[in-house]
Amino acid sequence: MISEPQLCGMAQTAVDRKAPLLRPGNTNCGGCGMSNLLQMMRRAIADRPVQLVIPACCGAISAGAFPQAGFGAPTLLTTFASAAAAATGAASVAALNGEETRVICLAGDGGTYDIGFATLSAAAERNEDILYICYDNEIYGNTGGQRSSATPAGAVTSNTPGGKLEQKKDIMAIMAAHRIPYVASLSLAHADDTLRKLRHALDLRGFRFLHVLSPCPTGWKSEPALGIELVRLAVRSGLYPVLEIFDGKRHQINIEPDFSDEALEMYLSLQRRFQRSGVKASDLRPAIDQHWQNLRVLSGRIVPARRER
Amino acid sequence: MRLPDGVELPLEIRVHGRGGQGGVTCAKLIAALYARMGLAVQTFGDYGSERSGAPVQAFTRVDRSTITNRNKVYRPDHLLVLDPGLLETPVLSGVAPGALILVNAVATPAQLGERYRGYKVATVDATDIAREQGIGSSSVVIVNTTIVGAYARLLGLPLELLAEVYASLGVTGDLAAAELAYQKVQIQEASLTPSPAASDTPQAAAGCAAKPSPTRDAGADTAPRASGMPAVTPIAGQVLDVPIDLRTGLWSNQSPSYCQYTAPCNAACPAGNDVVGFIQALKEGGPEAAAALLLRTQALPSVCGRVCPAPCMSDCNRRSFDGPVNIRSLERWIADHSDLHLVKETAAAPRQIAVVGGGPAGLSAAYQLALRGHKVTIFEAAPALGGVLRYGIPAFRLPLDALERDLARILNLGVSSKCGRKIDAEALIRLASEYDSLIICTGFGAAHELGVPGEGLPGVEQGLPFLDRVKEAAEQVSGHVVVVGGGNSAIDCARSALRCGAESVKLVYRRSRQDMPAIDEEIEEAELEGVRLMTQRQPVQCLGSDRVSGVLLAEVEAGPPDASGRRRPVVTDRTTLLPCDRIILALGQGNGLELLPAQWRVDSGRAWAGDQPLQVFFAGDCCTGEGTVTHAIGNGRRSALAALADLEPGLRDQCKAAEESPSTIKEGETQADRVVAPAQIRFDHFQSDPPAKDRHIPVSVGRESFQEFNLGLAGPEEANRCFSCGRCTNCDTCLIYCPDGIIYRAADGYRVDLEHCKGCGMCVAECPRSAMEMNEKSLPGGSL
Amino acid sequence: MSGELLSANHAAALAATLAGRANRSGRGFVSGVYPITPSTECMEYLCVQKIEKGKVVRVESEHSAMGVCIGAAAAGARTFTATASNGLAYMAENCVAAAGLRLPIVMAVANRTMGPPWNIWADHGDALMLRDLGLIQIYCADNQELFDTVLAAFRLAEDRRVLMPVMVCMEGFILSHTVAQTVIPSQDQVDRFLPLTSIPQQLGATPHSLGQIELPAQTEAHRRQHHQAILGAQQVFEELAGDFASIFGRELQGAVVPYRTEDADTLIVSMGTMGLTAQRVVDQARERGEKLGALRIRMLRPLPVQAIAEQLAGKSRIAVLDRDISLGFGGVLWGELARLAAPGAVVQNYLAGIGGGDVRPEHLEQVLADLKGRQTAGSPVFLEAL
Repeated sequence: MISEPQLCGMAQTAVDRKAPLLRPGNTNCGGCGMSNLLQMMRRAIADRPVQLVIPACCGAISAGAFPQAGFGAPTLLTTFASAAAAATGAASVAALNGEETRVICLAGDGGTYDIGFATLSAAAERNEDILYICYDNEIYGNTGGQRSSATPAGAVTSNTPGGKLEQKKDIMAIMAAHRIPYVASLSLAHADDTLRKLRHALDLRGFRFLHVLSPCPTGWKSEPALGIELVRLAVRSGLYPVLEIFDGKRHQINIEPDFSDEALEMYLSLQRRFQRSGVKASDLRPAIDQHWQNLRVLSGRIVPARRER
Repeated sequence: MRLPDGVELPLEIRVHGRGGQGGVTCAKLIAALYARMGLAVQTFGDYGSERSGAPVQAFTRVDRSTITNRNKVYRPDHLLVLDPGLLETPVLSGVAPGALILVNAVATPAQLGERYRGYKVATVDATDIAREQGIGSSSVVIVNTTIVGAYARLLGLPLELLAEVYASLGVTGDLAAAELAYQKVQIQEASLTPSPAASDTPQAAAGCAAKPSPTRDAGADTAPRASGMPAVTPIAGQVLDVPIDLRTGLWSNQSPSYCQYTAPCNAACPAGNDVVGFIQALKEGGPEAAAALLLRTQALPSVCGRVCPAPCMSDCNRRSFDGPVNIRSLERWIADHSDLHLVKETAAAPRQIAVVGGGPAGLSAAYQLALRGHKVTIFEAAPALGGVLRYGIPAFRLPLDALERDLARILNLGVSSKCGRKIDAEALIRLASEYDSLIICTGFGAAHELGVPGEGLPGVEQGLPFLDRVKEAAEQVSGHVVVVGGGNSAIDCARSALRCGAESVKLVYRRSRQDMPAIDEEIEEAELEGVRLMTQRQPVQCLGSDRVSGVLLAEVEAGPPDASGRRRPVVTDRTTLLPCDRIILALGQGNGLELLPAQWRVDSGRAWAGDQPLQVFFAGDCCTGEGTVTHAIGNGRRSALAALADLEPGLRDQCKAAEESPSTIKEGETQADRVVAPAQIRFDHFQSDPPAKDRHIPVSVGRESFQEFNLGLAGPEEANRCFSCGRCTNCDTCLIYCPDGIIYRAADGYRVDLEHCKGCGMCVAECPRSAMEMNEKSLPGGSL
Repeated sequence: MSGELLSANHAAALAATLAGRANRSGRGFVSGVYPITPSTECMEYLCVQKIEKGKVVRVESEHSAMGVCIGAAAAGARTFTATASNGLAYMAENCVAAAGLRLPIVMAVANRTMGPPWNIWADHGDALMLRDLGLIQIYCADNQELFDTVLAAFRLAEDRRVLMPVMVCMEGFILSHTVAQTVIPSQDQVDRFLPLTSIPQQLGATPHSLGQIELPAQTEAHRRQHHQAILGAQQVFEELAGDFASIFGRELQGAVVPYRTEDADTLIVSMGTMGLTAQRVVDQARERGEKLGALRIRMLRPLPVQAIAEQLAGKSRIAVLDRDISLGFGGVLWGELARLAAPGAVVQNYLAGIGGGDVRPEHLEQVLADLKGRQTAGSPVFLEAL
């Protein structure tokens, strides 16, 4: 019978990383979801040694202007498509030298879904020992907000003024199809669940992929203060499923949505990128329902035809 | 078209703004103005990796023919600063004395300071105007279309030109804002003795140009330093951790702060208890800690924890989520499980004060005065203290030992009581002269009658005497009883009648069940015990020959609403006869100040002789008539403090301060504005968890005797359900959700690093309990 | 003659293997590789080697191949990759990155025509396209030279005064696939020649970021540093050549290879295998009594301006052969060194072997005949129908 916000004792651990991972004075927009993610990562990483590999996305700017270090960990900034390849190199060296260093890619949806897709797929196929975190603000943020294949249908971007026609690519299914040890979607509004998954992912070996819906007030044309609430609404409405996929097969839903249309309408109404295209909750509902039907099947509502030996 | 006054060509304009806030568009608007005048223009922004909020610059040039200068503007003739925070950056570099400067600020030009005296300076609060007009979002107000209105005024351009330009750019919607700025801009001419030239070099202003150096051999060894930038070290040097030094706190005009709002329970409590305070204290420190807080305002916790109507629970915000916190029973838990007595203070000048009436109001007044070190004597007409607590409320609701516990605590403070002493008008005058102050708490007066034929028949009686007798000794009640009334007394009479052996008890009330003033839980318990409610019925005649044998009930309809909003009951002529053996009336009481001397009149809660106020105060039902124990307790306390304050002027402010709620009211706000509404609580942060219910003894056992029916809570865990509306509980939500991680724990709560806070507002939005707010930095409460 | 029979591709891979093993007590060796004709067998050979504390990553594109090397080099390992033609073009962005990050990555390029239209045969245009990026380029003419240069490239790249990628080039098929005796040193010798890899900016424990955004003035300073460093690389190369000779008992070819140029009045200047063909033509011409010389340019970046100028001094007629063309201008080599000739010299550009044609002595005789008839230089001449 607990009534307090359950934050998993998140802010009270003894092994808290004393120094921040994303330092104050960074140039991220106020209310940036990636900033929130980095605060959570700080707590999850604690005292582990890490190296960050970041392609040419918003994260590369967070690293600070030469020579000031925006991150509290050694960081390699790579060309847009190369994060997973460079991380392969760095992780290989750590492994060859028997080091505990965890190599973490922090890439936006552009560098993950689009230009970096082949690199990502190949590194996953080789099961490189990399933690790849995609902070997905559903646009090419660093260049001013153009559409990516992560942009949801109905969203207005700087080069899709009438709203994007195509559906958002299902990156979770794609990464699961690589049969990597761990794929998970994170909700920044559910700090305890996020922390648990970050810690779990940091401890595993092999290729681990995390997808984070990252509110972008600048790109979504929303109030900076409402970022976490937007994620909460996306989760509640079923628009953003929060789940884990182990070894590409076992699916586990972590947060049950209530599939509320009220939450979905509120989510849309709080972002001008949806208001301008006029998309409504009823437009999105069929795709959400279809997707969840698949997830229910995958998460074990049906007995498999053949038992494993 | 004629050039505006004082404008010479070529003209160079520089705009200082923030990323994402329309600085570049501002320069473009200005260019459009000049273009409309038939001049050649050029406008561009200084692009970089700026994120929303970081300082950016934009430039506009104006000339007669095509402009070939493709550099940035290093010597602006006109300077616009779109945000007063930017004045901390080198905006003045390259600006020659006499140039025109327009700043978006609340300050007047003179208030900007010495530095600006050598320039023609103008200021306008464009943020305020634009926000009012709804241009931009609340954290990112777009001021460009507004401030250009002020700029037009500075140039002496007509409003019509502005309107044309805005129409051509599709921003006619913002014209009203521009016109307001046009009217409101304040201008100060350059002083004749210009201030010393700006110290920054022109190059530094642009922020990135290196000093133009003589052509160097490409193979030369040294890397020249651009002014103000760190040197580029040789690659083979050591790796250094160079921390960032950007003060991103300058990016925003708003900053968060921790504040207190009033919890609705606190606002509702008639006794003025710090409800949220004592519940949180119970949660954190146990019943003793809670008692230490509660006992400051609450003289009778064991009593209220059992019989208070608990408006706190009606207003509890958790009601809108999964059910109100069971506050009443938490108070009872604290009273039943702690043995704390507050330490009596030593008064600088101890007073002698008499209290007439030993009911809840008088007891509360005596308690507060004694706590503060004064000598109090209570005069009580009945044999013992307590008033309605002892003689009115039945033991199954308020057991005697609970009352005695509370009384002992009061008497322990040195309060003397003189019971069995009825005070008349003469005695009152004498007491008023003998004591420093006199507080009269005699409660209600005579009970209301039915006013119908047959009311005088034996078997028709008033409820209060009935309850009184029943408390003395068990009385036998046989047959069918009808109780008339809808308040707590009526319920008490009904349940008491059952316990005394009545075969059946029906309760008749003229309005609906929802309108019954009795406490809901009491009504429910009465029904559990077998009392039958007959609502929308009014007795119009008592029937019988030498004893009552029945009552004629008329149906009552709800008519049009009265002043309080309740619908006036309209008695119809449809009647039914209800046989009964006894009728008990509990219709409320009238005012009880018959004992007052004729020369005294009552005004504003005190007695006056002619124009002279006397040191005689009233408290409780005799003056406010609110009719609950808790109101009496609260009123008793306040009247006692008012009496004290009147004795010593210095005390008045102390007492006033003690009265005020801790939440600071801001300009233009009322106390009511500070009460936390359900919509201000973030329900999503809490898990659904229904309220803990009171336990009670089995109904079959309960209705047979007068032992306490309600056993209260099994434990204090219910306190965990308190949201702590408006009061920080150090839950760390703000700290965890701050995107920049600039909220830190401090000794007494949290500290926000304002040097780096970008004003995004996420902490305030996520705070589960409305214990934070955003402030404009330029207003009181903000940081600028 | 001693030596193993190896193709130049295999020799490059073997040199990388030995160099990689030499870092086994350092932070190891990592290679990212992707196949493309005519470089493929280089990476295939590498993939079957056993390299202690080494890892070869078979990536999905050349861009990623260099990406892996960048990550590994930044983490302090020794790195190597190989590619050609369009693969090099796809890798180009990361070549910029590697150079800008001052990472000592060694790459073997089997120069091949870029397409479409597709053409698998030799052309220098692929590597030359990237000559401005701040990496060192050395063009080889035979197997031993190729092996030696790749080995030396690791030492050159990792020198603290240099710290940038080194691209070692061999013409596709003509050299890459040709098998010849190649003397391979022992691991012990290589261990002595190559110190452990360690770059000052490598990722360790100190928080810092490699490759951040910066302002114009800072970029100017960084470019100046880089430019200085690459200019100084020639000197470093000469120094290490001394060590090379004493450890391996063999001379490492210099930045330029002059052949019978001292008293020549006419020169044939070229890169790669055409330089060897030119030498044969020089001998023939000398027998006829003509004062012909040949100059083979090995190091294109940094351009050994002084050495070239010295060689061109006093020559009145100079034929510059280019197995490449900068469309809309002419041959790249010609464009680079024409100004270094003596005033009044006739410096004529001959575009020879573009697209992979076999440039034979008779073609060079044609070149000489044409050159002899010129009083002034004209526009670049295509040697067609080869």
